[in-house]
Amino acid sequence: MARWGMVIDLDKCTGCQSCSVACKAENNVPHGSPEEHEKRQAPFWHKVIAVSNGTYPTVKTDLIPMPCMHCDDAPCVTVCPAKATYRREDGIIIQNFRRCIGCKYCIVACPYGARSFNYREPDDEEYHRPDPPPERADRGIWPFPHRVHGVVEKCTFCFHRIDKAVKEGKKVGEEVLPACAEACPTHAISFGDLDDPESQVARLLASRQSLRLREEMGTSPKVFYLPK
Amino acid sequence: MSRRTFIKLSGLAVAVLAASRLLKRPALGSAVSSPELPEGEGVITEKWVPTSCLNCATRCATRVRVVNGRAVKVAGNPLSRVSEGENCARANVGLQVLYDPSRATTPLKRTNPTKGRGIDPGWTEISWEQAFNEVGERLKVLRGKGQPERLLLLCGLNTVSAEDIIRRFADAYGTPNVVSANGLNNEADKAGEWLADGHYTQSAYDLARTNYILSFGASILESYKPLARSLRMWGKIRRERPNRAKVVVIDPRYSITALRADRWVPINPGTDGALAMAIANVIISEGLYDTDFIKRWTSGFDEYRKLAIDYYDPEAVAIMTGIPADTIRQIAGEFARTKPAIAWRGRGATSWPNGSYSSYAIFCLNALVGSIDVPGGVTYQEDPEYRLMPEPVEDDPAREGKARPALDLRKTGRFPAAEVVTNQVADSILENKPYPVEMAMGFNSNFNMSAPGAGRWDEALGKVPYYVHIAPFISEMAEYADILLPSTTFMEEWAYDHSPPGSGFAEIRIKQPVVEPLYDTKSNIDIVFEIAGRLGGTVGQSFAGIGDDAQGFVRYRTADFTSWDRLLEQGVWVGPDYEYYKYGRIFHTPSEKFEFRSGNLEALLKGTGEEINSLTCLPHYEEVKFLGDSGDYPLVLTTYQPLLNIENGSQNYPWAQEMFLVMHGAGWTNFAEINSKTARSLGIEDSDTVWVESPFNKIKVKARVFEGIHPGVVSIARGQGHRTGGEWARGIGVNPNEIIGVDYDRLSGQSALFNTRVRVYRA
Repeated sequence: MARWGMVIDLDKCTGCQSCSVACKAENNVPHGSPEEHEKRQAPFWHKVIAVSNGTYPTVKTDLIPMPCMHCDDAPCVTVCPAKATYRREDGIIIQNFRRCIGCKYCIVACPYGARSFNYREPDDEEYHRPDPPPERADRGIWPFPHRVHGVVEKCTFCFHRIDKAVKEGKKVGEEVLPACAEACPTHAISFGDLDDPESQVARLLASRQSLRLREEMGTSPKVFYLPK
Repeated sequence: MSRRTFIKLSGLAVAVLAASRLLKRPALGSAVSSPELPEGEGVITEKWVPTSCLNCATRCATRVRVVNGRAVKVAGNPLSRVSEGENCARANVGLQVLYDPSRATTPLKRTNPTKGRGIDPGWTEISWEQAFNEVGERLKVLRGKGQPERLLLLCGLNTVSAEDIIRRFADAYGTPNVVSANGLNNEADKAGEWLADGHYTQSAYDLARTNYILSFGASILESYKPLARSLRMWGKIRRERPNRAKVVVIDPRYSITALRADRWVPINPGTDGALAMAIANVIISEGLYDTDFIKRWTSGFDEYRKLAIDYYDPEAVAIMTGIPADTIRQIAGEFARTKPAIAWRGRGATSWPNGSYSSYAIFCLNALVGSIDVPGGVTYQEDPEYRLMPEPVEDDPAREGKARPALDLRKTGRFPAAEVVTNQVADSILENKPYPVEMAMGFNSNFNMSAPGAGRWDEALGKVPYYVHIAPFISEMAEYADILLPSTTFMEEWAYDHSPPGSGFAEIRIKQPVVEPLYDTKSNIDIVFEIAGRLGGTVGQSFAGIGDDAQGFVRYRTADFTSWDRLLEQGVWVGPDYEYYKYGRIFHTPSEKFEFRSGNLEALLKGTGEEINSLTCLPHYEEVKFLGDSGDYPLVLTTYQPLLNIENGSQNYPWAQEMFLVMHGAGWTNFAEINSKTARSLGIEDSDTVWVESPFNKIKVKARVFEGIHPGVVSIARGQGHRTGGEWARGIGVNPNEIIGVDYDRLSGQSALFNTRVRVYRA
């Protein structure tokens, strides 16, 4: 069984946010509003954040693309009282909308702010996209063409793409990528099997120094960053 | 071809899939039951349509995924070599341009004769037939009076094909007054290259092969075109080659490009020309220049050398620029010793009253180190050769009208080298000089937002007796229209396009309708064909035999590239590989060499009878004259374009809005960015509401205390502050053009964007 992970090269990334927008389009993630933005309630499955240090003129800002880290020891899974969040065998952390009771424990537990709560009503037009991607039959009920009010949402590593590729015998990481990685114009985002030494992610990690965010919390994230 | 490319390619084939209504076992486990599907979702059709973007002037090749007749995803087209199959975030926003709920859906006619900011035009819906009749009648009458030059055609961001058809219409009708938005952005940049080598164009830089980039205010990763190509090549020069290129950014503001560069060097605003000359001083005095290239392919070097050595000593320039002399020497040494290297000039350096000369001074650095038409240096963009159209049929009114001086005073003593002076037109309208404007037509233009001194455009538009606005949505400028013709978005129309200089080799792409037009709209090419047909006579004749409508026109103009079917299927045509070292034919100057002393300018000014002194034809630095007294207005206001500022004149796109300022983690707004020390001295804290006041106007905006900005500068992102349009744009943020004064780079007529002084205080 593969162990899917992502490697993001911060030396190549230009902070253009193609990844974030592509994610919204791929996964039918509704856009926020000025009010939601103000309250930090706008739903994002993927977001580029800025971290700044220093003072003029020696300021240093990093722009960091942030999908879900799909932690091997995911605090969200531990705290979920409804078993709505769980870890698949291939390491992807999934949120089951139908089991989620909307308690938001996972949002509090997640050290990466990777989760969004769905405050909107499902009849909101933005939520209804009567045009689910055609691989639907392969994908089961995901992604929901109708969104569910009152549940938590998050990045899935585009598992609908991965599952289809695996079934069709395609190479994940080369022929098929999550939407954010596919959309990256600088090719900063790589995806693949961390346990396969031949995979691009494994080769990148072997060739460069890498870091993971908030490693000290013992979450063992599967998203790695390659600094400049 | 990489696997990644292959898989994207395979998506190009149009696929129609039928998926069973009966879903297989849900992937999430048996506890979950299949949801009921609404009627009509069982059979799903999918296709990928190769087309191209128009959310900025790069006009990238794209593929759009259409499911059940609805466009759901935009991706790159791997056959495009310009962007190598990639897009930026703007292309994705194309979906929201298409499905923007605030689009104009039918022709509208004004009922309220009073025009002005915020005045309801009293729109009433009319048919296309009536709209064409009224517009056609007005055009006929004006031409009948023998005054075709009093028709003004204003262009915002249009497809190349629409630009071609609008120019043809102007030629056939008889007006010299086609005014694009270029005079607000790029003209000083272009003039800098023209002074040196005769190409009035932005430079193409061979980014993928360079080893050193010295950016003078160039926003390579946010707004410089072709953007998606720059982004792709950025990835290449950083980590896809054995040697990682070094990037140094000179800019008063810590831009995204500066953030991703290896070194950010803040500079006193407007002094880039002096820095370039000081770098030349160091390179020359240390003997680091490319003697062979300079001897064989340049002229005027001795005068240039003398000027640089005598007047631009790094110590003296350090005082002007605020950059220590040691830093100047270090940068100059790196730039000259690392080959190939590029000196890249951007708006930050050239949008000043001294812009053309700064632009020239920076461009000359490339010649100094031999980076002209070499791999990794400046290249000379090949333009695609569209099939030529027959010359438009001209009658006497057309010839006479076109012979009149243009409203924007281009190529006059006022703006001797200018091709377009966008912002001058507002004043010309207001002053009836050189003649009154009787009628104007705007194609996607929005100058009362995008031009400095925006309020003047409100007055000018209010004064134009008859204005026709053509765009997919109701913008600030549309409010002044007597007739509004709703055009299709780029996702629904036929067009051909290519990118601004960058790739070197030629490439074209087409636009084809991704979906049927959503509303009762027409493409602006079709609108011009229809109007020309109704005018008849020589105007009508000029539009015969070139395809008859937008689709036919695109087919006609692209016929020499490849077969029509292949073009529809692939979406792009790529020309032959770029050839370097074409020194025998690239220098369009009197000496047929690269000129450190501009013979082109000398010839031009001799023609206009202007006095030429020892500095006039040499690259040099002129101290900037600021608008506003430095005592009353201590700070300099600059603006910048974030990547998610969509260039079509609207910003009603939630995806673009909610990630608008990635550097500040902010969306749905813009800020007055101000240095922390300056803020402290003014008693301003982060998020305070402040007034930013220039000698001309003031705006109220939130302050963002920021470490990445020169203490003497306050900066506001462009793209917000819309007064009309949809709920996602209207009333959000501020428009800095409201308070910026009107000034120009004299040679090129480009608007000076950054020489307005302001004061900032708590509101």
